[in-house]
Amino acid sequence: MPISREYKVGVFVIGTAATILLALLFLAAQKGFFQTSHTYTLSCRTGDGLAVGMPVVFSGFDIGRVHSLELDDKGAVLIKIRVPDKHAKWIRQDSFFVLYRPLIGAARIVVNTDHLESPPLAEDKIAEVYVVNDINDAIEKIQPLLETIERLSRRIDSMAAKTDEQVFGREGTLPQLNKILKDAAGKLEKLETTVDNLNKISKDAAEGTQDLGALRADIDEVAQTLNKVSRDIDALLYKQKKPEIKLP
Amino acid sequence: MSIPEKIGNYISGRIQALARMIFFAVKVFRRVMTPATYNSATRTVLINQIYFTSVQILPVFLLVSAVVGSLFIGVVFQALKNLGLVSLLGNVLMGLIVTELSPFFTVLLITLRSGAAINAEIAAMQVNREIKALEVFRIDIIDYLLAPRVVNGIISVVLLSFLFSIVLMTSGILFSRVIFGISTDVYVNILLNSTNFSDIVVALLKCAAFGFFITLIPIYSGLQATHELTSIPIVVSRGMVRVFAAILVIEVLSLLIRLL
Amino acid sequence: MTLFAGEEALDKAMRKFMRARPRHAAPVSHDFPLISNLEAWLNIALIKQYHENMPVEASRNMVLGLLRNLGLEKIAEKRNPALGEEERFYVMLLRAAMVERAAIVIDRPFKMLPQLKNFHAVLMALKTIDGLYASCDIYDYDWMKDKYGALCR
Repeated sequence: MPISREYKVGVFVIGTAATILLALLFLAAQKGFFQTSHTYTLSCRTGDGLAVGMPVVFSGFDIGRVHSLELDDKGAVLIKIRVPDKHAKWIRQDSFFVLYRPLIGAARIVVNTDHLESPPLAEDKIAEVYVVNDINDAIEKIQPLLETIERLSRRIDSMAAKTDEQVFGREGTLPQLNKILKDAAGKLEKLETTVDNLNKISKDAAEGTQDLGALRADIDEVAQTLNKVSRDIDALLYKQKKPEIKLP
Repeated sequence: MSIPEKIGNYISGRIQALARMIFFAVKVFRRVMTPATYNSATRTVLINQIYFTSVQILPVFLLVSAVVGSLFIGVVFQALKNLGLVSLLGNVLMGLIVTELSPFFTVLLITLRSGAAINAEIAAMQVNREIKALEVFRIDIIDYLLAPRVVNGIISVVLLSFLFSIVLMTSGILFSRVIFGISTDVYVNILLNSTNFSDIVVALLKCAAFGFFITLIPIYSGLQATHELTSIPIVVSRGMVRVFAAILVIEVLSLLIRLL
Repeated sequence: MTLFAGEEALDKAMRKFMRARPRHAAPVSHDFPLISNLEAWLNIALIKQYHENMPVEASRNMVLGLLRNLGLEKIAEKRNPALGEEERFYVMLLRAAMVERAAIVIDRPFKMLPQLKNFHAVLMALKTIDGLYASCDIYDYDWMKDKYGALCR
């Protein structure tokens, strides 16, 4: 038997509505809508960044919400946070509360508890909230860097001024360099004359060397003649007496 | 006629048309809220409309939601991981997917499938003088034609949009495990932490507004057809343009409500 | 049975008839066609469902019974474009008969049933459903007088 259209529509509507309702009920139950809760009062010197509904976080998990905000007689902000019974165990007497405002993302109150065995925080006690602000932290971190950059910039400016004076000033490097270059040019002109003289000397020397060659040839000839004379004398001496070898 | 006069005429004509439509919308809304509107005939139409709009497309809708939703969620998760914004996973899931993507995707699908069909159907009825026949037999057009279709629009968009969200959340379990190595418990906890009931209420109202207007506007446009066949494509295209404009306006208004 | 000299006079009389019986006028006219996206039985049952909040099942059974009496039960699930001229006419007649204390007015029946040789078949149908309506008028032109035979004498 075919299923009627009415039946299909009924199943769809009831089934989907029931699924949605169950999902919402589960959500409500998980978010503690059906649970009794504890209300704690915190105080903060500023209400800046605080909002009703802001999450209260313990170890990265939401354990409650900011329920209301009001000013006390001294001008401090009283923050009432509501924490379901099952999460109340995380809030002890030695818990400290930090209002954390990240650079990106929603602000939250972070609960830190060092000793979970310490007694539970009484609901009539007022705990203080410390503020940690990512934007201010970032500005604080950037501030010294900015100051250094500024100092560097000033120093670079003064260095540039000094460099100008030293390079382009009356007593600066460039005028002196010009002077030296002028001197060098004058000296180079003189050097040119010297080089010419040297060339001349060299030429004369070359000519002198030619004379020396002739002289040497004469000397060689004289030496050869002397050698011949010496050999003749040696031969004459050899003929006149035999050589004696006397041993010591 | 001088140019300023023409501009003035045009603007005044537009404002009058908008005022007429708003007046009509208020009239329909009041009738939808009146129990006497619902008799055996309108209930039959309502059942048929829900059947054709939601039940008949349910398998395709679930398949498309799973495919498109998974792709989208995978891309978004990967982008979050690359940007080092893993801590915003829950906010993205709830703030972007449940309150923005799901209603928008659903309304787009239903508008394309049913909005155009309703527009053409009513225009054809007007051309064939069937609307006149209903009036002659004292069958109220708003009660019989509009109320069931508008109620169907609201029911269908709300239910399908939430189904889309549920499908996406479920595929999110898989992707969060694969991309971030997050266990199901942690994933559920992240979702719970980022859920605001006010966001869900805004999403619900937005879906209802979408459903109301994506059916009302095509019918209103369809009723403006003349007795000529050629008027059908004209009123259908005009109606569809108005529907998309209405979707954008509702989207912007919902964003403003959430910002305030 | 009322005959008119021309279209204008007939239309005027028709409008007057409708105005005079705002709650009970039940026209069977080419100008007021069946709803195309409803089945034949639903076109008839719609009047009871809408005005008397008659449940779907009960109205369906009632309409099927009436169609059966006219020998037309097979057309119950057909829609307007699928109906023959005669079938369409009888569905329109039954729809008109669904109006509470219906004052039926048949507007130019031969315009809707050009194949009809004489009016006898329509009279027989009217007789079959005579418990459903309070009165029945037929409007047509003078020159159609012969087609109605004894009805005009």
